[in-house]
Amino acid sequence: MAVDLNWKTIPAREQRLGSITGYDGTLSDMATQGCKGCLRDKRRDFQTASSCAHHHMINQLAGLRDVAVVDHAPTGCIGSQVFFSSGRAKTEPPPGAPPMENVRIMSSGIDESDTIFGAAEKLKNAVRAAYVRHKPREIYIATSCVSAVIGEDAESVAAEMSEELGVPVVPATGGEGLRSKIWASGFDAYCHAASVARLKDEIRAEHKKPAISYVGFAPMGRRHIEPLFKRIGLDLICLTAAASIEDFKRAAESAATWGQCGAQSSYLCSVLEKEFGVRYFQSHLPYGGVGFERFFLDIARFVGREEDGRRVIEEEKAKYLPKIDKIKRRLEGKTALIAMGASFAYEYTRILGELGMKVLHTVAYHYDPKLDNLRPEERVAAATDVFELKLDVPTSVNDAQQQETNLLTKKYKPDIVLSRAHEAGVFAQLQGIPAMDAEIGLIVMGYRGLYRVAVLLEEAFLMNNLVKKFGERYVSPFSALYENTEPFQFYREEAI
Amino acid sequence: MNATCSEQHRTACGVGGLFTALAIERCLPIMHCGPGCFGNVSATLGSMNGGQSGETYLGSVIPSTNFCEDDVVFGGTERLRKLIGECEKYYDADMFFIVDGCTAEIVGDDIGEAASEWAGSEKPVLYASLPGFKGNNVRGHEQVLSAIAEQYLKPARGTDPKQVNIFGVVPFFDPMWAGSLDALEELLTRMGLKPNIIYGRERGVANVDKIPAAGFNLVIAPWTDLSLAERLKEMFGTPYLHFDNLPIGPTETARFIRSVVDYADLDRGVAEDYIKREEDRFYYYMRRSYPWIFSCKNFPRKFIVNAASAAAVSVVRFAVNDLGLIPSRVYITDGTPKEHEDMISEQLRRVDYDEDFDVIFTEDGGLFEESIKNEDFSIRKICVFGSAWDLVPAKKYKLTFVSVAAPYGDRMVGSRTYFGYEGALRFCEDLYANAADNIVDPGI
Repeated sequence: MAVDLNWKTIPAREQRLGSITGYDGTLSDMATQGCKGCLRDKRRDFQTASSCAHHHMINQLAGLRDVAVVDHAPTGCIGSQVFFSSGRAKTEPPPGAPPMENVRIMSSGIDESDTIFGAAEKLKNAVRAAYVRHKPREIYIATSCVSAVIGEDAESVAAEMSEELGVPVVPATGGEGLRSKIWASGFDAYCHAASVARLKDEIRAEHKKPAISYVGFAPMGRRHIEPLFKRIGLDLICLTAAASIEDFKRAAESAATWGQCGAQSSYLCSVLEKEFGVRYFQSHLPYGGVGFERFFLDIARFVGREEDGRRVIEEEKAKYLPKIDKIKRRLEGKTALIAMGASFAYEYTRILGELGMKVLHTVAYHYDPKLDNLRPEERVAAATDVFELKLDVPTSVNDAQQQETNLLTKKYKPDIVLSRAHEAGVFAQLQGIPAMDAEIGLIVMGYRGLYRVAVLLEEAFLMNNLVKKFGERYVSPFSALYENTEPFQFYREEAI
Repeated sequence: MNATCSEQHRTACGVGGLFTALAIERCLPIMHCGPGCFGNVSATLGSMNGGQSGETYLGSVIPSTNFCEDDVVFGGTERLRKLIGECEKYYDADMFFIVDGCTAEIVGDDIGEAASEWAGSEKPVLYASLPGFKGNNVRGHEQVLSAIAEQYLKPARGTDPKQVNIFGVVPFFDPMWAGSLDALEELLTRMGLKPNIIYGRERGVANVDKIPAAGFNLVIAPWTDLSLAERLKEMFGTPYLHFDNLPIGPTETARFIRSVVDYADLDRGVAEDYIKREEDRFYYYMRRSYPWIFSCKNFPRKFIVNAASAAAVSVVRFAVNDLGLIPSRVYITDGTPKEHEDMISEQLRRVDYDEDFDVIFTEDGGLFEESIKNEDFSIRKICVFGSAWDLVPAKKYKLTFVSVAAPYGDRMVGSRTYFGYEGALRFCEDLYANAADNIVDPGI
């Protein structure tokens, strides 16, 4: 199942891609099973809270420029968007854009009586109010657990409001919190809604413009990467927070596209590929030296600039490798446990190898056996590494179940835990184990990115006085019985 | 066009009531909610509210059934029952608190029945229904306290006339709750009382157990927990004193101390000595800085509050009575129940200032940002006392800004408090530092 802009509701990752949130074994086994289409999910009886697809759908939509999002839900469902709003407001606006402001997210405020009598009128009023106050160029109606369970028809309201207000009002469905255990399903719902709003009526350009589109959370790091693409004749278009309607239209005319990771980006990249013939590069992600060289040469070859591409790589190497090698001496032989989102978990597994470190175990917050791309020869990046580089590591998949990750940390006793969000690293540090919250996206791309990772890791090992003192005072929230259980004892296999 | 906006909320979902359970040391919330319901309340009440998180239990270890589509069809109580059993075995806790959210409520899962299976077990298992469609986290907070009263508390063998239970502060939601309660505890102890607080470090379930033994309850807030105090009066005959705000600065703190001392018949001499010493100290520091403050001619005098009622009443009283600032208008954003609106309006206007000012009850936090779009700041600026949402427009218009309520912002709150005399100095430090940072404006 690829992408389809005619879907009224985009199917969740579990259904669309066969993605899983429970696995224990090795990366090579998981990737091999995934490629054969026989990977089975495992459920757990004992679990902790994870993250909400709806929340992620909305933060991505509301990050776009000139939009308002109306959440058809109880007001509390957008309670945590202040986190993204505040972060976004601190970022530098794209060239020529006005300063970043608060995100524009309204709530229809579904209350108890609405759950019985329906809330279509309330939703319409919220859409009108959003328009009057913010004059957006587009309005998205986000559906939620409650609006889905009580059977609200967001699509009809969207059509009626588009007519009334004269701006596109687009339903954003499929990201309801109960729909999927994989919060990345919310990213897909964002990609689908934004594609319907901004790309569906675009005409496929016959001649592509010399540009490459990047799909990701934020454009941070752009200034370092843009010049590299210029050298092979490509402009960089960022379909990230603050992307305008025009950016999407330009992306549809670009020659190639790639995403920060499979989780956030694959659906939108695949729309560009399927609907507009923009070539989606996903097998090689551009992180670390190895990743960057493969990725950049793929692109350079594709645009017929291989020699220029090689020169860029050599120059970048010359600039950063000596510095990296210096730090590498201090990292060599250190062990790590990784706990991160699906793509970056295995990107960092490879990157730490490049820096001379040994990864004892990698936890991915979910795993996609395939992505939305059309061409079957393009595997997910982790599987590509298994087949191309013989990358392998003991691995497990949990949807930020930190109690499981914690048992693994105790079992493997790594020198460092490398995490991204969701508290795996905090949990380790409170127990006296050094940890680092890793960066993702353009900022860690290429040899400069590798150097940055090395610098941060060096610092993470250099000084851990506070961590040590936390460790001396650690009190486990769990009973001794739990602390002595095996990591995967709560798993049970599900039939597909 | 009947268009009412609702954005930039300064409250969280009803499920946020679980943070009140989380504030009781070693009390573990068990969620019968969607996978992201914790995440959806944890920014406004936690990370974006002064960098707070659970201490005994990090957010990432809070158990949840992670209610999904299958549960809509088949019901999720069986999975909840199983999870409660796992929690009893696998967590080190003194109390368990089951909460549910919207979807479990709509499909009719009965968490009370699930909890009742654990009646009489060594560790109490309580429950509260907290769906977001019934109200915000302040309602959730009240539900959790009500559950403690109805499902857990037993009459005491005897009462201690000096013991006073402290209610009214909504933990986590009030970003400075921890520091404020510590300072309040110290003050009341000094006055000769035995304050009993259930939230925060080294208090926990033992203090919950002591609630029925109190000589009286103190509700130190405009309206929150008044219903609990009424209920405790019915259940245990405990009288209560309602003081309408957590005092900041000399005027309100002295009024508070005198109210408590009179009510509990404490030593007035001790209280007056304390008030005099602390007031002298406060004005010593204010006089030391006043030549500088006075010389900054462009420090604004008028202010707008856009915050929860508790923060609003405290700040308005201090800003007007002690700092001599001028209230311009006050937005109350915590969904104060209709029946309390007149009381809050009256509380806000009970200040040493004769002119009237607007008090607007709204859960539309964006109304303030909208209202200043056309305001003329070219002659004179204003102060904004609000939350992280207001920081962005405040920066845009170079307005003096102090965060006083949730979501406080992404900065560490630690043990900070604006309570009392010392807290008032912290407030002034924040206020005048920010005013000075924004003082130079090309528009003037």
